[in-house]
Amino acid sequence: MNTVRDLFQSGLYWPGVVVAVVVAVGAGLLSVPVVLRRLAFIGQGVSHAAFGGVGLAAVLGLAAGSAASDAGMLGVVAAFCIASALGISWLSDRSRVQTDTAIGIVLAVSMGVGFLLLRHAAEIAPPGARPPGVESVLFGSLLTVRWIDAILGGAAMAGVVVALWWLRRPMLFWAFDDSASGAFGVRDGVMKTMLLVLLAVTVIVTMKLAGIVLTTALLVLPGAIALRVSDRLGPVLWASVGAALLGVLGGIVVSLELDWQTGPAIVLVLAALYGVAWAGGAALRRAGS
Amino acid sequence: MGGSSETRAIECRGVGFTYPSVGSPSAEAALVGVTFDVREGERLGVLGPNGGGKSTLLKLILGELEPDAGTVRVCGTTPARARREGLVGYLPQRIGAGRAWPISVRQAVAMGVEVRVAPWKRSTARQRAAVDRALELVGIADLASRPVGRLSGGQLQRAMIARAIAIEPKLLVLDEPTVGVDVTGQRRFSELITRLHAELGLTVVTVSHELTTIAASSDRVACLRQSLHFHDAPKGLTPEVLAEVFRHDVEAVLGGEVHVDAHAAADFDDPTHTRGHTHGHSCGHDHGGGA
Repeated sequence: MNTVRDLFQSGLYWPGVVVAVVVAVGAGLLSVPVVLRRLAFIGQGVSHAAFGGVGLAAVLGLAAGSAASDAGMLGVVAAFCIASALGISWLSDRSRVQTDTAIGIVLAVSMGVGFLLLRHAAEIAPPGARPPGVESVLFGSLLTVRWIDAILGGAAMAGVVVALWWLRRPMLFWAFDDSASGAFGVRDGVMKTMLLVLLAVTVIVTMKLAGIVLTTALLVLPGAIALRVSDRLGPVLWASVGAALLGVLGGIVVSLELDWQTGPAIVLVLAALYGVAWAGGAALRRAGS
Repeated sequence: MGGSSETRAIECRGVGFTYPSVGSPSAEAALVGVTFDVREGERLGVLGPNGGGKSTLLKLILGELEPDAGTVRVCGTTPARARREGLVGYLPQRIGAGRAWPISVRQAVAMGVEVRVAPWKRSTARQRAAVDRALELVGIADLASRPVGRLSGGQLQRAMIARAIAIEPKLLVLDEPTVGVDVTGQRRFSELITRLHAELGLTVVTVSHELTTIAASSDRVACLRQSLHFHDAPKGLTPEVLAEVFRHDVEAVLGGEVHVDAHAAADFDDPTHTRGHTHGHSCGHDHGGGA
């Protein structure tokens, strides 16, 4: 039985904790525009596209467990996710119905293909290699996170945060009011593509920890919680990052103590936080009025 | 068109534009041979039915589209460059975007200024002063710290106008500014634009299918239906002119209300029609008295 004390005694969990912290910062920041621009479904599509990527990488023999194959797998998945994000963006410039349809198709096809590829990978795997189990890909597992993931994930999330800081003004204008931002010199297409790429990168890094199915939760719940707490931009961004940190760290503790999968534990902690924020916000409003 | 050599805020020469057709071989041109000048400090109203090419003309002026034929110059340069240099302030038609955002009125008004600041710099004191002045000019300085979600429609529109003038543009472009605005709101809007024009010496281009808005805040009116026809506002807008511009589009012009051409045409001649007319009517209110 794993406990939180094991976390400190064995080094096994530290890479997962590092990934959890860096992911919480990036996902917490991105969560606010995702909620306000209603991008949750796109995030869902992108994260499910990763399933196909994982399957492909497994068949290519990139799931052998060595650092090099881990990095290769991350590359294949990243290419899959970013390509699907750009594909969805390209389609959504045409018509609204097509966006939803496109996401639905990408999501379903990736899941189907990914599942078959993973099974095929398990069949053809040489002795000693262990392709990732479907369950850990879908729902996440702290133990599958290795130092190479933590290092690459940390670098990727640092890149996401720097890009968000660099683009904060045009990105905010575009996200707030894209009916006018173009006329004020903001490159709308660049903003949209950049947000989707940052989203895809965050999804990829989050995936091993929270799993494909539950990665969307990290992109939606922190922002939704924060918007319950404040109506000022600065406090909302801090609250969103704070909620994401509480969610992932609390989720890790819960998953270790109760021997749950990491992803579901994180989601349930975040959902509990949302309940508290909802009730607290309602109480505050009553007291204020 | 004036023939002097003073600087032109807008110069369009033989501008044509056809949207690329998807699937249909017979694409109709949105604009054909549009030639006009707007002098600096002038207020031009562009009146026309829905689908008459107003949005296309705006996109060309804002540099979001390139003309198929002819040239567009804004403030003596290309539209894209004029936009980059902050010479053009823009009020979008769709107001209310992003009202769920945790953004204060001041933050929203400052956005146009902020995107012109390099990522590693802070906005200058002068830029922040321009934002304060814009808030005061449109009369919402007291709302500066309020979240945008708690503004009324009219207040939010003022904030968006403040956002446009905070970059200290030479040209102000208003896209259908009074859609869904009641008669009192329309009057207040026209008064605000008239005041801003007087105080800032802006060139103002208003695009609308509402005659009230156009007549009350323009020196000159261009009727647009694929091509342009000029008239002095408001006395040149005779019933015949309007009937010709809007032809069978009277229903669309009147915001979806069902009116027959004969009725609309009759309104123009009726001197008893005043501004207090509550019908949300687009045609002819100021026709008799505004000379």
